[in-house]
Amino acid sequence: MPGLYVHIPFCEKKCIYCDFYSIESFRRYDDFISALHREIDMRAAVLPDDIVFHSIFFGGGTPSLLTDVQMGGVLEALRARFRVEADAEVTVECNPGTVDASQLRGYRSAGVNRLSFGVQSFHADDLLFLSRIHTAEEAEHAIGIAQDAGITNINLDLMFSLPGQTPERWMYNLERARDLGTTHLSCYSLTVEQGTPLARMVVRGMVAMPPEESDAELFTLTMETLEGWGFRQYEVSNYAREGYACRHNLTYWRHEDYLGFGPSAHSTWQGRRWWNLSSLDHWLGAVDEGRLPEAGGELLDRDTLRREYIYLRLRSEGIDLVDFRRRFDADLVRDNRAFIDRCFAGGTLRLEDDRLLLTREGILLCDEICAELE
Amino acid sequence: MDTTRNFCIIAHIDHGKSTLADRLLERTGTITERDLKMNQVLDDMDLEQERGITIKLHAVRMKYQHSDGVEYTLNLIDTPGHVDFSYEVSRSLNACEGAILVVDATQGIEAQTISNLYLAIEAGLEIIPVINKVDLASAEVERVTQGIVDLLGCAHEDVIPASAKTGIGVEEVLTAIIDRVPPPVGDAAAPLQALIFDSVFDPYRGAVVYMRVVHGTIREKEVIRFFANDKEFEVEEIGFLQRGRHRTGTLSAGDVGYLIAGVKTVADTNVGDTITHAKNGAPERLPGYKEVKPMVFSGLYPTVSDDFEDLREALSKLHLNDSSILYEPETSAALGFGFRAGFLGLLHMEIAQERLEREFGLSIITTVPNVEYYVVLKESLERVTIDNPSDMPEPGKIDHIEEPFIRAQIITPSEYMGNIMKLCMDRRGIYHNTQYIDPTRADIHFELPLSEIIFDFYDKLKSVSRGYASFDYEFKDYRESDLVKLDILLNGEPVDALSSVVHRQKAYDWGRRLCRKLKDLIPRQMFEVVIQAAIGTKVISRDVVKPLRKNVTAKCYGGDITRKRKLLEKQKEGKKRMKQVGAVEVPQEAFLAVLSMED
Repeated sequence: MPGLYVHIPFCEKKCIYCDFYSIESFRRYDDFISALHREIDMRAAVLPDDIVFHSIFFGGGTPSLLTDVQMGGVLEALRARFRVEADAEVTVECNPGTVDASQLRGYRSAGVNRLSFGVQSFHADDLLFLSRIHTAEEAEHAIGIAQDAGITNINLDLMFSLPGQTPERWMYNLERARDLGTTHLSCYSLTVEQGTPLARMVVRGMVAMPPEESDAELFTLTMETLEGWGFRQYEVSNYAREGYACRHNLTYWRHEDYLGFGPSAHSTWQGRRWWNLSSLDHWLGAVDEGRLPEAGGELLDRDTLRREYIYLRLRSEGIDLVDFRRRFDADLVRDNRAFIDRCFAGGTLRLEDDRLLLTREGILLCDEICAELE
Repeated sequence: MDTTRNFCIIAHIDHGKSTLADRLLERTGTITERDLKMNQVLDDMDLEQERGITIKLHAVRMKYQHSDGVEYTLNLIDTPGHVDFSYEVSRSLNACEGAILVVDATQGIEAQTISNLYLAIEAGLEIIPVINKVDLASAEVERVTQGIVDLLGCAHEDVIPASAKTGIGVEEVLTAIIDRVPPPVGDAAAPLQALIFDSVFDPYRGAVVYMRVVHGTIREKEVIRFFANDKEFEVEEIGFLQRGRHRTGTLSAGDVGYLIAGVKTVADTNVGDTITHAKNGAPERLPGYKEVKPMVFSGLYPTVSDDFEDLREALSKLHLNDSSILYEPETSAALGFGFRAGFLGLLHMEIAQERLEREFGLSIITTVPNVEYYVVLKESLERVTIDNPSDMPEPGKIDHIEEPFIRAQIITPSEYMGNIMKLCMDRRGIYHNTQYIDPTRADIHFELPLSEIIFDFYDKLKSVSRGYASFDYEFKDYRESDLVKLDILLNGEPVDALSSVVHRQKAYDWGRRLCRKLKDLIPRQMFEVVIQAAIGTKVISRDVVKPLRKNVTAKCYGGDITRKRKLLEKQKEGKKRMKQVGAVEVPQEAFLAVLSMED
């Protein structure tokens, strides 16, 4: 079932590794909130009203900058304009340094039932390096008040393969996260994205990224450890306790439709994908003029859909070969027989109930395998 | 005929041949200064200009009023300036009676100058020595002049000091051509004998033949015959060259000009061949003709196998222009469908490859160049010709292998002699002798296997002599050598396109270096890649490319899907540019790994 995404493009401070669209100036914050309502209205006006959505996700940027009243207002608008299931999953990404108890209680009563905290690490020096604005203690505190406010479905974002990170230091982070009673963990390998301050630091030799081998070692340690604790890895970087997989993100990986609002948000709707203007000013300008703030788009033909389906499914729940045949009128295994056989032999792919899945070794080589499958 | 002079210019690369030619054309009013600004007139192929070498021969007619009041016709016949084309040089020399020998006053005599000079002397040409660039501060006029005098046995005053750049000595050169070069001798009434010294392809007219009429007279509408292939054609157009073609309708003994006769391909117009009349023709061809034989071979494969037909088309067009390129289809287990092509030499090969890529927009993979071997088989003692290492019979079936040797001439400042001796010995050279051109410059003679010089020898020679040594060679003979076929295996599968033939004593070192180089060139992939070098079934070296450990995008959400798909498409494109050998992806550079091996 489709999902709704809202992008909140403001941050108190941008992190050195982040390449999502966000700005540190709040000058047009109020304009943004009212324009967001207008975009929701405009989009709803051009879409059929019989589609039922099962998730809402606030990403950013820092969505937890929204007051409970603002959050309530946007959620109300979405529910008024679209058919959203009563028990839909409603997630807000939070910066642990920007939340307080009454705000989270307000979120709870506005319908927010899942929080995702960008904790990244429980080591002070890591947080300093990553230029995060919160401390480890603030993170623990924020999770505590969230649980007190009645939001118990909680994800933490954690980052491994930081420069100089040992397996012990990483294990400490995983243990602290577990002990906080979280239902979900997103563990990302620190990636140097082009154009970020981190990329410049690496180019200048100020930061040495860990070699591929130790990156693979920490990743493997993560997968083994979390599985041992009862978390199921249902996507390359995502682990959940039984029943707590993120419904919204599964929308993407299952190649289902989603609508995005706010600067730089992407949408995929019935064979078409488009993306909004990413600059806040341009996005505001378009909405003010009563135009849908699209920057570009593409039609997804069957070949494109097929390629996307392969890598989205492979990195998450695996490729259901029956579903694949139904969608694309093709036999994936037969079309890639030699390669898939080599992967079976090499232990990177496995077949289970007509489903083609990556093994743990295969997850490490996911992109390599996706580039081969056709 | 008494007022005609046919001559050419002999010079080393960069010694000023083209500039001097330009000055002569300008001084005789054949072309204007404005034409010259466009480019140097003789070299009209882009590649020639870029590489500073002349590949194709042309001929230009000039008029010059001598001090005796008579107007003379001067035909300048251009010669190619590289070792690969020595046969073509010899043919164009045979179209002349005189040669201007240009020597750079700052450089002195070079190997190429001498070898071409010998060809000119052999052809009985009158030599006019010119010492060029005398205006430069670094000119060593005395020393270089003495070298020329010693070499030619001429008088000091026979050497004309000149500067093609500033125009010094140009008048003297023109005068000397008339005074010293003998007029052509030949009988305009005798049966026709015309020497082909070049031909080029004109897409509208077919082959345009450049020739020197030695005896007889040739007219339009006459039917001619080529000796080499007995083919007959009716002459459509005849004339001479001078800023384009000037039609005259007739040419006779002593004249140099062009001929168009509806010949569809330059392959029918062999350089060195003789043209005569179909009826009442000359009984014999002019002496010195030989079929040009390719010396260096390499596989040419389209990077994308779909382009095979395009490559065939391009090769056939190239062949229309340059019949010395031979090619035939071949298949490689590793590279698929392609061609084995033969070239006159390594430079010739590089030029052809570059033209294929540049003029025809093709992306091609070339295999390591090799020479042609004679393999004598056991029992039958049959002699088979092998121009592709992967065709080499099994060792047990071979009685012995013969390989081509060349006679090499290297001219160098004497301080680099030690380095050069060592280089030649490393390349299995057989030392002959050394002569001194002047007290500081040595002329060293070696015999070397051609296979040892077809790649990187020239670069190595330049580097051990700080760029001072010059080199020329000619084919000598085939000799028995202790050669073995070295195979490269990737994950146990032999890669035919990487096979090479090497001397047994060098095989181990060669195999080890090649494996190491391939290890650097083959990227890490999902599976381990074992690289082995083997002679027959015996593995002599082994290296391993460790498998890739991790390649996975950490984040992939709604906003990442398009971007991620494009990244994967790019990765797929990159894989397409590689060749799939079994399960191993091999980048194109690997097929030329030998060329970039370190010692």
